[in-house]
Amino acid sequence: MAGNILEIRDLRKNFGAYQALKGVSLDVAQGEFIALVGPSGCGKTTLLKHIAGFEEPNSGSIAIDGQQMLGVPAAARPTSMVFQKLALFPHMTVADNIGFPLKLRKVDAATIAKRVMAMIELMQLKPEYLSRFPRQLSGGEQQRVALARSMISEPKLLLLDEPLSALDVKLKKVLQAELKRLHRSVGVTFVHVTHDLEEAIMLADRICVMRAGEILQMGGPNDIYYRPADSFVAGFIGDTNLIPVEIAENNASGAMLRAPGLHATDPRVPAGFVAADLGTGPALLMVRPELMSPLVPGESADFSIEVTITEVFCKGGTVQFRSIMADGAPVIFELPGASRQPADIGDKVRLGWPKRDIYVFREKVAA
Amino acid sequence: MAYPTPTPWLNARAEARLANVLLYGATAAVLIFFYIPIFTLIAFSFQEGRYPTLPFEGVSLKWYAALFQNSSAGDALYNSTVIAVVATLFATVIGSAAAIVAVRYRFRFRIPFTGLSAAPLAFPQLLLGIVLLLWFSVLGRTFNFNTGIVTAIIGHVVYITPFAMVIVAVQVFNFDATLEDAARDCGATTVEVYRYVTLPLLWPGIFSAGIFAFLLSWGNFYLTYSLAGSTRTLPTFVFSGIATGSSPLYPAIATVVFIPGILLVILADRIRRKG
Amino acid sequence: MSGEIDRSWRDPELLAKALPSVILQTGFFLAPLLMTMALTFQRTKNFQLTWTWSLETWTDIFTKPHYWTILGHTLFMAITCVVLCLLIAFPVAYALATRLRAYQNHVKVLITFAFLTDATLKTFGWVLFLDKNGAANYIARLTGFEGDAVNILFTDWATMLGMVYNLLSFAIFTIYLSIDAIDRSLILAAYDAGASKFRAFWEVTLPLARPGIWAASVLIFLLAVGVFLEPKVLGGGKSPMSAELIRQTFETRVNWPLGAALTLVLMVVAVFIVLLFNRIYSLKRHMGPI
Repeated sequence: MAGNILEIRDLRKNFGAYQALKGVSLDVAQGEFIALVGPSGCGKTTLLKHIAGFEEPNSGSIAIDGQQMLGVPAAARPTSMVFQKLALFPHMTVADNIGFPLKLRKVDAATIAKRVMAMIELMQLKPEYLSRFPRQLSGGEQQRVALARSMISEPKLLLLDEPLSALDVKLKKVLQAELKRLHRSVGVTFVHVTHDLEEAIMLADRICVMRAGEILQMGGPNDIYYRPADSFVAGFIGDTNLIPVEIAENNASGAMLRAPGLHATDPRVPAGFVAADLGTGPALLMVRPELMSPLVPGESADFSIEVTITEVFCKGGTVQFRSIMADGAPVIFELPGASRQPADIGDKVRLGWPKRDIYVFREKVAA
Repeated sequence: MAYPTPTPWLNARAEARLANVLLYGATAAVLIFFYIPIFTLIAFSFQEGRYPTLPFEGVSLKWYAALFQNSSAGDALYNSTVIAVVATLFATVIGSAAAIVAVRYRFRFRIPFTGLSAAPLAFPQLLLGIVLLLWFSVLGRTFNFNTGIVTAIIGHVVYITPFAMVIVAVQVFNFDATLEDAARDCGATTVEVYRYVTLPLLWPGIFSAGIFAFLLSWGNFYLTYSLAGSTRTLPTFVFSGIATGSSPLYPAIATVVFIPGILLVILADRIRRKG
Repeated sequence: MSGEIDRSWRDPELLAKALPSVILQTGFFLAPLLMTMALTFQRTKNFQLTWTWSLETWTDIFTKPHYWTILGHTLFMAITCVVLCLLIAFPVAYALATRLRAYQNHVKVLITFAFLTDATLKTFGWVLFLDKNGAANYIARLTGFEGDAVNILFTDWATMLGMVYNLLSFAIFTIYLSIDAIDRSLILAAYDAGASKFRAFWEVTLPLARPGIWAASVLIFLLAVGVFLEPKVLGGGKSPMSAELIRQTFETRVNWPLGAALTLVLMVVAVFIVLLFNRIYSLKRHMGPI
C-alpha cells in the first residue's frame, strides 16, 4: 500500500468553552474511501472543515501527502469539497461552475472547455446542460455538477459533507452507486461525512465512528456492523439484540457467561468473540436479528432463548418479528420472506444461534 | 361526537368580495392620491398663461423654453447632478461595505456599529441639516471655509448611506455564505472570492441601493437647503420660487426633475426582473 | 440563511469595510450631535455665539409655556399622522402581498417613484391642486359643486394631508415586507382549522405582521415630529410645529443655543414616547390581551 495521504495527529478545537474536537488522530491511505459517521454535533463536519482549511485547530496537526497544512488557506490545499447544500454558484452556468477551479488556476480557455467536457462525460451529464444555470437542473443533476466541479482540479483528497442527505431515497441509492463507481474509476481518496451508518457501510472501505468530538471506533464495514465498540455503535445501524449477561471469568482462553433465560450448551466463549477490553462483571451479548433462527422441538443450538411474538412486520424480502422474553426484555429476529408466515402474534418460539455469531462487549466504552 | 363547523359572520363568497373591494379599492385610491400632485405639476407646466390657475389659457411649451434660457435654472440642474452623482458613489460604497459587516460578521462591537451606521435613518432630515449646519459653521470658523457644494455632499452622504446599507443588507442576508467557502475551496483568493462570487451575487442589491441613493440625493430639499450655502439645486430653486410667488416656470422645473427618476426606477425594475 | 462569521473587531478585512461608515457617522452625525448638546449651555450676545457656559437657555425653555404648546401640537399631529398612515397603508400593503399577482411589480414601481420624488415638489403640487383657483376646485365646479368646495389650503387639514402623503410610502413598504414574510401555510392551517378568511386574517396575519406595523409606526412618528415643509407650505405657517420653530430660532432669531436646545427637547421627547409605547406594547404581550 502507498503511504498515507492524510495524517491527523491529536487535533483539538474549542469553540469558546465547547470542545468540538478532543484530540482526534486519523490516518488515511492513498485511494481509500473513508466515512466519518456520527450523530449531529459529534464533530465529523468540524473535522472535515479542518481538513479543507475552513477552520484552524487549537492544537494538533494535519498533513496531506506529507505536507503540513496548518496555516495553509483552503484555496491552497490539495483538497476539494462537495458541500451539503452543494454551493453551486447561481449566477454561473454549469460549464462556468465546473470550470471555475481551473479558471482560478489561470488555465487557458480551450483546455478548460476540454476538461469540462471530460468531467461532463465522467458524470454522465448531457452536454446541452453546459449552458444552463444550476437552478434549471434537477437535484441529482446538480449533485453531479457539484462533484464535477470538485474533481476537475484533480484534488488529492475529495471531501464530501453529507452531499446526499437532502435527496429522496431512490435518488440517494442511485448516487451512492455513482459515488462508488467514481471512486473506483478515478482512484482519488474520498473522505465522506454522513450521519447515515448504512450509507457508510455500503460505500466506505473504512468507517470512523465519532461521538462528542472523539473517535469511538475505526474499522471496516464488517467490524462496525458485527464487532461494534459498544451499544451506541451497535444501535447506530439497523436493529440489534443486546442481551444482558454476567461475565464470571475472563482470561486469555475466553470468558464464562451467565444469564437468566439464556440457554447455552457451553457457556464458555472463545476470546475472539469478546471485546478485548472486557473484564468481568455485567456485559452485553449482541446478536443481529437476521442471525437468529427458530428451532424445531428437540433441535438445539449453541445459544437459545424462548420468546413470545408481539408484532410482525413484512419488510418485503424479509419478515421481522418483535418478541419478548419471559422477563419482558425485547428480542427482534428476522427471517427470509415466505409466502406463508411461519409464526403469528402470540406464538411462543424458541430461537437459536451459533456461537460464531455473537459478540460480547461492555455497554459503554470511554473513548 | 363531532364539533359543529364554525360559522363565519359572512358567507365565504360575500367575505371574499368585500375583501377584494376593500383591498383593490384602497390600492387604487392610494395610487391616485400619490399621483395627484405629480400630475398637477406636469399639467401646469404646459400652461400658456402667466399664473398657474385653471382653466388654462392655452397649452404651450414656452415655460420649458424659458427654463432653458434661465441660467440659474441651468446652474441648479448642474449642481443637482454633481451632488447626486458624487453622493451616490460614496453612499453606495460605504453603505454596501457596512451592510456586509453588519450582517455577516459576529464581532465585539457589532450592535453599536449597526446602531451608529443606521442612526440617521430615523433622524428628521431638517434637524440633521441644522445639526450639521452648526457643525460646519463651527468647523468653518476654525478652518476658514463656508458651506457650499462639498458640505451639501457630505450631508447627503450621511443621510443616504444608511438607506444604501439597509437595501444591501437585505441582499447580504439572503446570500448563502457557503458559496464563498466553495469559491475558496476551488482555489480563489480573498480578492477573487469578491470578484467572482460575492460582488456578482450582491450586485442587484448594490445596484438598487445606487439608484435609490441617486434619487434621494437628486430630489433632496432639506439637507441641501441647510448645507449648500448659496449653491442652489433644483429643489431649493423651486422652493425659493414658491416663496417669491409662483409662475408656471416651477412646474416645468419639477417636471424636468421627475424625468431621471422615472427612467431610473424603470431601469432598476427591468434589471431586477432579468436577474 | 447567511452564515455568520466570527471575527475579531481588529480584523483588517472587517475594519476596511466598517471604518468608512464609522468615520462618516462619527464625524458628521455623532460629533455634531454632541456639539449641539454642548451648545445649549452657551450664551449669545448681539446674535453672536459667546463660548460661556450658562443655563440661561434651559431656564428660558422650562419657563415659557409657548415652546411646550408648540411641542404638544407637533406630537398631536405626529401621532394622528401615524394612525392615518397605518390605516391607509395596511390594506395597500396587504393587497400588494396577497393580491395583484400580475400587477404587483407595476404598483411597487409606481409607489417607489412617487416616494423618491422630492417632497418639496410634491408639496408644491398639492398647493397648486388645493388652491382656490386650483385643480381640485376646478374639478369640483365641473362636477356641479358651488363656489369653492375645496377650501382647506393653509389649514392644519392641509398640513396633515401633506404629512400623510409624504410619509405613507414608509408605512406601505415596511408593512408589506412583514406580511410578505409570513409563511403562507400558516394561513392555510388556519383555514383548515375552520377559520373564515376574516378570522384567519385577524388571528394569524395581523399578529404576525405586528413587527412591521410597529417598525412603520416608529419610523413615521420620528419623521413626522420633524416635518417643516408641510406646515410651512400647505399649512401656511399659521400654526407652526416644532421644526419650524427651530428653523426660525436659528435663521431669524439667530439664537443657536436656544435652537439647539429645542432640537434636543424635540428629539428626547420623541424618543421617550417611542420607548413608552414600546414598553406598553411589550407589557401587553407578556400579560396577554387586556
